Amino acid sequence: MGRFFKRTSLVLAFIAVFAACAAAETPVLRMATTTSTDNTGLLDYLAPLFKQDTGIELQWVAVGTGNALALGRNCDVDMLFVHDPESEEEYMKGGYGVDRKQVMYNDFVIIGPEDDPAGIKDKSVKEAMSAIASKKIPFTSRGDKSGTHMKELSLWKAAGVPVPEKEQWYIQTGQGMIQTINIAAEHSGYTLTDRGTFIKYEDNYKGNPPLVILVEGDEALLNQYSVIAVNPERCKEVHYDLATKFIEWVTSPRGQQLIADFKLLGKQLFFPNAK
Amino acid sequence: MKVLYELSGIKHRYNGRLVLDIPRLVIEEGDIVGLIGPNGSGKSTLLRILAFLEAPSEGTLHFKGMPVGSEGEPPRRDATLLLQDSFLLKRSVFDNVIYGLKIRKEKSLRKKAFEALKMVGLPPEEFAHRPWYALSGGEAQRVALAARLVLRPKVLLLDEPTANVDEASAILIKEAVLRAVKEWKTTVVVATHDLLWLYEVAKSVLNLYQGRIAAQGTSNLISGPWRPLNDGLWERALPDGQGILAVSPPSETATAILDPSDIVIATSPPAKVSAQNILSGRVTQMLLDNSGERVAVAISLGGVSLRSTITPKAVKELSIQPGQRVWVLFKATALRWL
Amino acid sequence: MDYILEGLINGIVLLVSGDEETYSAISTTLKVSTMSIIASLIIGIPIGFVLGYFDFPGKRTLRTISDTLLAIPTVVVGLLVYAFISRRGPLGSLGLLFTLPGIAVGQTILALPIVVSLTAGAVEGLDRQLKLTLLTLGARGRQLAISSLWEGRYAVLLAAATAYGRVISEVGASMMLGGNIKWYTRTMTTAISLETAKGEFDMGIALGLVLMLLAFAVNAALSAFKKRAAQ
Repeated sequence: MGRFFKRTSLVLAFIAVFAACAAAETPVLRMATTTSTDNTGLLDYLAPLFKQDTGIELQWVAVGTGNALALGRNCDVDMLFVHDPESEEEYMKGGYGVDRKQVMYNDFVIIGPEDDPAGIKDKSVKEAMSAIASKKIPFTSRGDKSGTHMKELSLWKAAGVPVPEKEQWYIQTGQGMIQTINIAAEHSGYTLTDRGTFIKYEDNYKGNPPLVILVEGDEALLNQYSVIAVNPERCKEVHYDLATKFIEWVTSPRGQQLIADFKLLGKQLFFPNAK
Repeated sequence: MKVLYELSGIKHRYNGRLVLDIPRLVIEEGDIVGLIGPNGSGKSTLLRILAFLEAPSEGTLHFKGMPVGSEGEPPRRDATLLLQDSFLLKRSVFDNVIYGLKIRKEKSLRKKAFEALKMVGLPPEEFAHRPWYALSGGEAQRVALAARLVLRPKVLLLDEPTANVDEASAILIKEAVLRAVKEWKTTVVVATHDLLWLYEVAKSVLNLYQGRIAAQGTSNLISGPWRPLNDGLWERALPDGQGILAVSPPSETATAILDPSDIVIATSPPAKVSAQNILSGRVTQMLLDNSGERVAVAISLGGVSLRSTITPKAVKELSIQPGQRVWVLFKATALRWL
Repeated sequence: MDYILEGLINGIVLLVSGDEETYSAISTTLKVSTMSIIASLIIGIPIGFVLGYFDFPGKRTLRTISDTLLAIPTVVVGLLVYAFISRRGPLGSLGLLFTLPGIAVGQTILALPIVVSLTAGAVEGLDRQLKLTLLTLGARGRQLAISSLWEGRYAVLLAAATAYGRVISEVGASMMLGGNIKWYTRTMTTAISLETAKGEFDMGIALGLVLMLLAFAVNAALSAFKKRAAQ
């Protein structure tokens, strides 16, 4: 039976090693964020610099803004980095978050196939949305309560078009931004995306993407990103101190400069505007 | 001689069916008891009870004067049973042999295991590290025996130890058991069809039939069904078309005992004899018994085996050999009813 | 079609050049699957042994439950475990969500019915002669149980390999409980699903190759154990 016990102790040693791994020393800040900050590589770029400056490990779960807010409500993350001012305000009103700060903005664009079957190129957002709806050209929606999705819903509303919830040409993907653009491309349809993700998408196709920007520059397309710390009074387990450090860092002149310096294909993706 | 086992009023049932019924049986230390009887006659059940693997449904079993089963664990480590189908643990030959020693926390395992392997004719250097699946049937059975001999058991119970093995293995197994008897005064109970054990090894033989001890010794048992002919004669048909004749059985399903010394052997069909049974068969096995005064001859009559005992002189005169065609003669009245 | 071939070539380049991100996903998968398989064996083997070895009232019901759970969808496990280990849940204070031990909890629950049912089956399937042999060689009580389990070891290894195959290939629980955090909880399967969705095939193909290699190894182990178990 000696061998049996030898094996058992080996197993226990294994567990001890893993337990030790799990209880790592470095402080870890866990953030829920939108797919755009992840897919563009912004966080991959910021995280090591943040660690260099503060010694804090940044880990993030990339989901839609709606999901991110839900993770915050569940106390499962320490902070949020999101882009839907309307639902953010509601979240703050609910007492779920503290220290909301604007960080940066970019803008949304409406993209579609180059031959533009709905003829929306360079039109206003309102005109573009009604043209797509009346011609029933495929339009892919995130459909996941993300910041982009919420923005899209507000655009339909502004255009006076009811949300085409059950229309055949209206495709709700329930997935991230890049996935949704890919699905739009498969259908030769339109979609709304943040510019940062689109530049990343363009990069994947070496500057020759199946979908191109058709509508941009409209005031209605502004995309504001903010950080929010999860309310430590509601959630005892959150690392409020770490969240505060990140908020201070990202809104500091250094953090703001780093964001401005982040470029893809030589293009600036995000414009810092912390107050 | 000291009494080792004492069985009284033993009855054993499986699902209500009586499979063993032994009013009284005593086995003494150093005994070598042979068990014979057809399949299903209760030999294996009796062995499992003697090995303390099963407790009898009724009756008392004393071992070394102590009642078994009433309190505490049965003295299982005094008796060991070798199963009919060589069953080995999924480990090397060496680990199989030392298993019993290891759980008894004994020392010098290697020396003892090698001795045991040598005893059963398996060179340890060659076999000790073989895995369980790289053995022939006979080798596996000898490893299983070595795993028991290494324990120097007080009682060695053998269930058809040589039924499924080659002839060389059968002889090695028999010799190993005899050595255990000689060196450690091991008591042996062996269930077997093999004359080798019954005449060369066993000091006494129990003939089991339908769970009962039908006879002591190596008598032939002939069971029904009996079919009436004329003249008060009854016939038990044999598979090859011949028939055994007997006089007035108590019932159609009665069992008769036929003493081996009542059977006469002839090498050619006899002309006119008074015996009513003249049956043709083939010699399957011949053995000189312990005393050296009798030769046991097993004869197969179309699948039914009869044992006859004759003198060495008769064997020489008739020049009988295994495989040879012979005629057996016995009186219808030689069959006595149970 | 070009992009598939290109993806394959780039995938192999990623593997050969030791790309950090690719190997991070591989090592994460190996770490978390090792944790969950060890946990499921430590919990599952004794339960399976008891279910297979002893007779007691309710044994059949327990076996049926375990057998039914063999087919439990990974996302259902993900959902249930999420509900428990979310900081709002009863086990929230352990801080398991979005960590490797968190994924391991989900995967252990996935693997457990496999280990329990197959171990119970293996122990039930042991030769009746085995017990007689062990008894007649003098084994008692605990020795009898341990030796019986040891005799069934190849069948238990078979259970472990089957469970491991399920654990390394599942994506639902890893995604929901691990959150697919780059460098930390991004496993091979969640990375593949993310990369494919992003339309980037290189790393997906590289990881797919490794996953298939692992599946092949598990399968080879399975057939070896099967052969030994039958001898």
